[in-house]
Amino acid sequence: MKHLMSQLSFDGRRLILRNASFLFFSLLMPAGFYLLFTRVMIVGTTAEMQVFNVTYMGSMIVYSGLISAAFSVASILKHDRDQGFVNLLNLTPRGLTTYYVSIALWSLVMTTLAIGVIGGLAMGVNHVSLSGGQWLGVLGVSLFGQIPLLIMGAMMAFIQHTETLGLVSNLVTFPMAIVSGLWWSISLLPDWLQQIGKVMPAYFTNSLLEKVTTGGEIELNSVIGIVLWSLILFATMILISKLTHKWGVKVGRA
Amino acid sequence: MKTLIEATHLKFNYGQKSVLKDISFRVNSGEIIGLIGENGAGKTTLLNILLGLYPTTGDVVLFGKQPGSKVGKAHIGSMLQTDMVIQGVTVSELLAEIASCYETSFSPEQLIKELHLTTFAKERLTNLSGGQLRQVTFAIALIGNPDLLFLDEPTVGMDVQARQSFWHRIRLLKQQGKTIVITSHYLNEIQEVADRILVMKNGQFIFQGSFNDLQNQHQRVEIVFQTERASDVFKVLPHVTEINKSDGNIHIRSTDGDATLYALMKNFKHLHQITVTRESLETIFVQLTNQEVK
Repeated sequence: MKHLMSQLSFDGRRLILRNASFLFFSLLMPAGFYLLFTRVMIVGTTAEMQVFNVTYMGSMIVYSGLISAAFSVASILKHDRDQGFVNLLNLTPRGLTTYYVSIALWSLVMTTLAIGVIGGLAMGVNHVSLSGGQWLGVLGVSLFGQIPLLIMGAMMAFIQHTETLGLVSNLVTFPMAIVSGLWWSISLLPDWLQQIGKVMPAYFTNSLLEKVTTGGEIELNSVIGIVLWSLILFATMILISKLTHKWGVKVGRA
Repeated sequence: MKTLIEATHLKFNYGQKSVLKDISFRVNSGEIIGLIGENGAGKTTLLNILLGLYPTTGDVVLFGKQPGSKVGKAHIGSMLQTDMVIQGVTVSELLAEIASCYETSFSPEQLIKELHLTTFAKERLTNLSGGQLRQVTFAIALIGNPDLLFLDEPTVGMDVQARQSFWHRIRLLKQQGKTIVITSHYLNEIQEVADRILVMKNGQFIFQGSFNDLQNQHQRVEIVFQTERASDVFKVLPHVTEINKSDGNIHIRSTDGDATLYALMKNFKHLHQITVTRESLETIFVQLTNQEVK
């Protein structure tokens, strides 16, 4: 526990408090989108807008989690590996488990902060009102849905070149946000694209959040979808990790 | 004397390229080992294997365990070639974090003072020069109070004061009985502190022993003196490979110092200001590595 607290304190300072890009991309950008779509680009009746204000809050929370995973987590892990910090920790008696747990926990804290900021805007600006149980539900679902995205970010960190990582992060984040219905309703997309969107992990989380915030019944399919994505991505990540190390040793870049 | 590292028949390939070719060696407790070789000779690969970062064929044992064991990690400090430039972290924060990974570590504040890092201890790593980063990397290697240190090109980029301070610390560590394996291209510095030298070429050791042994194997000397006689007179001396005249001095290089000096003494009354210098590690190293590996 002492080791974890120390690692959490070290990582919290560098990854949250002194990381302006996290504040911008993971918090301010989704918050800005939320305000833009709910206050400026208004379409529909007041009742429809009330529902939209709530559901779009959920979408932007998922979007924030997606950005955190694909940009922040991926680049943090890659930076630490490239700089030799991962190797250094690996050579200490503490090893790497504490480090990875700390990064995962801070990623979940990032998601919680996003809920705080976007939820605060939803309440303060759009007068969204949820019960305590619903807010807890939002927190639980968001953290649960963040797991596959977090593993995906960790996988992306194995990309060798920073430029390629930037490209892949963009190619993953924005298409996934669109096809999962985070920016606008999935029903506006062509049928074939909807089919793809409806199996995306971000879609499952967004659906669950919609049910939690509008009082609907939780769909088991979405829960299973998130679990399956987590398992598949985790297994793939372990495989990539082993192959990358093997390749790195082979070419002297491990 | 206790054996800390024992390696037998180590081999390692990068793909098809054979980097380590069946090497064996042993390091005893309290020794300072100078591991030298040209770029690409296999020094860093060998250190990575000893640290457990690379797999190998052959047997390696450190502190009685396989490389990368938890027991070994608690006793080993390492300074790799890459300096860390982690964003958003100060020198003292990084040292405190690494110190917390060990059960028995130095106090970061104490180490910062002892290694003269105080002036930039509160600076972020991203603001440091290459030489300062190297000093921080050395401090990281020491923070866990290790018994065995692996130092890979430790003084690259350090200024003169930092290098002097570094070698002073190495001598103190030797006095404390620490074991150190050090690679460097500054061979004059290695020759000062190393108990034994391992010379690598193309993944093999072409010499293992003390600097004295190496000098004895290579009986080359340089004899410098002043004389009123013509330099041609000395061409007949045995084992002389080169004669130069500069600044009023005659410089003679010989492959057998004893034999050349014995013959030279017949002219003793004509010689003034005689100095005899054995060849430096750097000169011997160049000769050694220019020869083909048998």
